[in-house]
Amino acid sequence: MLQIKKTVTDGKAILAPAGRLDTLTSPELDAAVKETAPKVDELILDLAELEYISSAGLRVLLAAQKTMAVRGKMTVKNPNETVSEIFEVTGFSDILNIE
Amino acid sequence: MKNEKTEKKLSIWGRLRERLTPDEMFVETEAQANKLAALILFCSGLIIALILVLTAFGLFLLPMESVFSPLIQAFAEVVILIIICRVVKYRAWWLKHLLMLAIIFVYARLDCVVTHKAAILMVLPVILSSRYFSRRVTIFTSLVSTVAFAVSAVYGATHGMININIVTMDPGITMITTGGFLGDTVKNAGVSDAMLIKNTMLFDYLPKWLMFSIATIVSCNIARRGREMVMTQHEKDVETARISTELNLATRIQADMVPNIYPAFPDRREFDVYATMDPAKEVGGDFYDFFLVDDDHLCLVMADVSGKGVPAALFMMASKIILANNAMIGKSPAQILTDTNAAICSHTREEMFVTVWLGILEISTGKRVAANAGHEYPVIKHGDGSFELLRDKHGFVIGGMAGMKYKEYELTLEPGSKLFLYTDGVPEATDAENNMFGADRMLEALNEEKEGTTVDILKHVRASVDGFVNGAEQFDDLTMLCMEYRGPEKA
Repeated sequence: MLQIKKTVTDGKAILAPAGRLDTLTSPELDAAVKETAPKVDELILDLAELEYISSAGLRVLLAAQKTMAVRGKMTVKNPNETVSEIFEVTGFSDILNIE
Repeated sequence: MKNEKTEKKLSIWGRLRERLTPDEMFVETEAQANKLAALILFCSGLIIALILVLTAFGLFLLPMESVFSPLIQAFAEVVILIIICRVVKYRAWWLKHLLMLAIIFVYARLDCVVTHKAAILMVLPVILSSRYFSRRVTIFTSLVSTVAFAVSAVYGATHGMININIVTMDPGITMITTGGFLGDTVKNAGVSDAMLIKNTMLFDYLPKWLMFSIATIVSCNIARRGREMVMTQHEKDVETARISTELNLATRIQADMVPNIYPAFPDRREFDVYATMDPAKEVGGDFYDFFLVDDDHLCLVMADVSGKGVPAALFMMASKIILANNAMIGKSPAQILTDTNAAICSHTREEMFVTVWLGILEISTGKRVAANAGHEYPVIKHGDGSFELLRDKHGFVIGGMAGMKYKEYELTLEPGSKLFLYTDGVPEATDAENNMFGADRMLEALNEEKEGTTVDILKHVRASVDGFVNGAEQFDDLTMLCMEYRGPEKA
């Protein structure tokens, strides 16, 4: 149910997951992040096509944030209303770089 | 209540003990194999009956006098065997041998009659025997078949259908037929039985037996593999049973970790608390907690660990204990969350986190101090008002990042106020079309029952959620807590 579009250009990677990010699908994004993050200085998560994020998905974002905090920068872009609300409620809006 | 629990526990251990041992499993497969053999025997009986009928009407070109007696015997054997099978209900250790013998003898008799026309008959019992998953049975069947079909070959050579391809004649012999079968003419020409038997054994039985040996080897292999598969399956079944027993116990341990005896505070008139916890799997990551810090302070906790199942449950147990320990020594809500976060962050490597709403109510005044670490908005009903979301100040989830500080806020509850706490399993309960229950439907359900007791309210919300998802699988833990504040005790 989750599709991840990946674009990598010199030191900068854009991951755009589309669909639902929950217990079943978050390992896919986790794998994509683990594969991409060590190779780039900037990681952009484009959430425009993301319908829903569960706590398992948040866990992946937290891990990504921690990895990127050490070696560069992570930005989260275009979360929809549902996802923004979840970021707000869980306090993730305080620790993530949301544009 | 307690007895019922103990009994349930016993029955789980009982179930594990009662699981079939490998021997019992083979008894089971043997009974199934017996049924298959009996079915084959029954079908063979029908074929024999058909041959008899067709021969009687002259459609089958076999001499009735040589066909009748062996086929009737074979038919009788089939009937007797099927009766025996029925009587012992396909379960007797000797039945497999008896069935194999019966099938061999029935086919050997058929072989006497139709001789070289039915080469495949010899192989059938051995192939069938592999279904017993026992090399011994297959080898037994193979040896008996070798002898029985040798006898039937000898008998068939002299009494059955003659195979003119194996009849050798001296050169220069001229035969004059008088009509009818060529075989009869050859037979009447006075060929010797010894020659017929010798040639049958050499040109007919021997090649048949060689092919039969190959079938025996294959069948032995199938029997051995079958046995191994049954054993492996058995090991897996035992393992699955063990895991499910452990998970069952874990479910109970987890359920007993949170207060679950109601009414929770039978001697307190000022407030009432009721809560339910319903994990999606055997164990879950949600939890609630409530306890009196001292006579005048009631602490309420609602929390949700990221993820589900066993990992979430392990994390939940630790979080619950750390939170309660911090609360019991009288810290403020923000301090409890800050210290809990520090304690959890020093131990977790797996990016597990927990969202927590924690509030402490001063019972004598209705003053409540609360702090929220990334948890869902609580729902509150002031006095005679309606339930509405309390969009409180949120901090970051606990266990996510070291050094987080949490803020607390105050609100005062009037007598008659109610507080509803929940985890995201409630608003995010999903129906078959992936629609979420949502906070609006949740508030609606709460307000439909707003004057009810805490138990009525939770039951009603649960019924609404169940009605909405309409049988779709519950995939998140569902946990709710409702507190009613009735006001201070009148002195």
